[in-house]
Amino acid sequence: MRIASLIRWIVFALAAFILNFPVIATLITSFKSNAEISRNPGLCIREPTLANYATVFDPAGRFDVWQFLGNSLTAALIGTILPIALCFPAAWAMARRGVGMNVLFPAAVNLRALPLIVFAIPLYLMYQTLGLLDTKLGLGLILAVVNIPIALLILTNTVRELPYELEEAARMDGASMATLLFRIVLPMCRPAIVTVFIFGFITAWNEFLFGLMLTTRDAVPITVGASFFFASGGGGVQWGVAAAIIMVSAAPPVLLGLVMYRHIGGSMTGGAVKG
Amino acid sequence: MSLSQRSENAILTAPLVLFLLALLGFPTVLDVIYSLSDVSFETLRAPTFTGLDNFRAVLADPDFWQATWFSLKFAVLTSVAECVLGLALAIYFSPILRRAPWMLAILIMPMIIAPAMMGLMYRLVLHEFIGPLPNYLYNWFGVSYGFLTAQNVFKTIFVIETLQWTPFALLLFHMAYESIPEDIREAASVDGTRGWRLLTRIELPLMLPTLGVALFIRFIDGFRVFDNIWTLTGTGPGGSTTSLSIYIYVAFFRSGEIGQAIAASMILFAAAFLVLFVAARRGRGKETA
Repeated sequence: MRIASLIRWIVFALAAFILNFPVIATLITSFKSNAEISRNPGLCIREPTLANYATVFDPAGRFDVWQFLGNSLTAALIGTILPIALCFPAAWAMARRGVGMNVLFPAAVNLRALPLIVFAIPLYLMYQTLGLLDTKLGLGLILAVVNIPIALLILTNTVRELPYELEEAARMDGASMATLLFRIVLPMCRPAIVTVFIFGFITAWNEFLFGLMLTTRDAVPITVGASFFFASGGGGVQWGVAAAIIMVSAAPPVLLGLVMYRHIGGSMTGGAVKG
Repeated sequence: MSLSQRSENAILTAPLVLFLLALLGFPTVLDVIYSLSDVSFETLRAPTFTGLDNFRAVLADPDFWQATWFSLKFAVLTSVAECVLGLALAIYFSPILRRAPWMLAILIMPMIIAPAMMGLMYRLVLHEFIGPLPNYLYNWFGVSYGFLTAQNVFKTIFVIETLQWTPFALLLFHMAYESIPEDIREAASVDGTRGWRLLTRIELPLMLPTLGVALFIRFIDGFRVFDNIWTLTGTGPGGSTTSLSIYIYVAFFRSGEIGQAIAASMILFAAAFLVLFVAARRGRGKETA
């Protein structure tokens, strides 16, 4: 039994290492000088340096990374808060009164399963007409669409499981719809809203396809901006700098996810299993 | 239902409905118009109606069929591999995860990384001169393996996708496994059902619905794959890693064949709709989003 358990731990460590290998390798490379990368491409490191990160954030550098980060933050916040605001009242109407359960609910939730590229081209043409191309608002709006399915699903499930008595009592006391929703139901939904927010923020931050198609210069998010570093602008790719920009781009969702992972454990699976 | 309740319901759902109509409904109408027209970036305002020409052109394009075949093969192979691996690991690791639940966070970390960043990371990891993996393979085993050559690139991206999303299946199966009521296991053990028999006769059948959901979700995500392949190989050597999403993107942005790109995306939309419809019919009441 002892040996079986030991083997299990070894397999676990091995699996954890293999699954996270690209992240580990990139993290280590980001602390190496270019000279060391070409001399010593392995996982050990002789002279760790922060020079790559300094280059990434150098204000005189090729790209304005702070702007990429700011764009990602703004677009991801729009893409996270808007779906919650839109879905919360609808989720209540769906859970408590069965409104839209035949068409609206399945249509919105099944958006999760549609290939996003289907909407990308007409959106591009529409945005061009409306002047939303290459704007943070335009990117944020489509990220909101991406997050609507999970927001609606989680909020509807949550409202459905709230005790009904409180709402009934409030209704008896003559509370208005707004009071009922925002003073009574909303506070009880707070944990679910935190979950939707964290999960939605990670999804929006990590989105790539719409950033690639709908932005060119002013509203480029960090995922797309990071890929710019791999297009060699005269000379080859600077691998240390490229590794550093990947880590900068991946850090916010990873930190958020690790700190709050209890919150998102269930929603990571897209509400596929309740609980 | 009273009139006031009806107008209340309308007010509650209107923001969501209007938002979806504006961002998806209108573009879908545009989709239909442009897919039936001869249109370029110069003639966006004045498309000429050409009937089903675009659809004929797409269906006659061997690249379209190659991309469809690629996406289908990729989706089937990765979803099966992810679910098999995820299921096996979830059960094998369950004693560890029960004792130290936070260990799960280490395993699911790849899911939190943007697939686009994963693709970029592998550009570094697999680089023939500065990549750690080719370096170790050569130094320890004397092997030089061209991960991204036309011959091997499919295997490589298959492994990359599987490594990133096996944690998703693992997480699903972990939750399903832990939610099996303890008294079922106790009852089985009183009957003398333990170990392998307990697993195959009782636990696995109870996890079957989860397997269906996991396969379905991973299949759709595999079928519409774009980010990680695009940042790693683009269309790939000789177009060998052109998924359907990449085919549509390239037709639109690189070749400017707007009508054809939209026609292809309408076909994809119809296919996805059909799959969803069938899935909804078969699994009524189940959460499949």
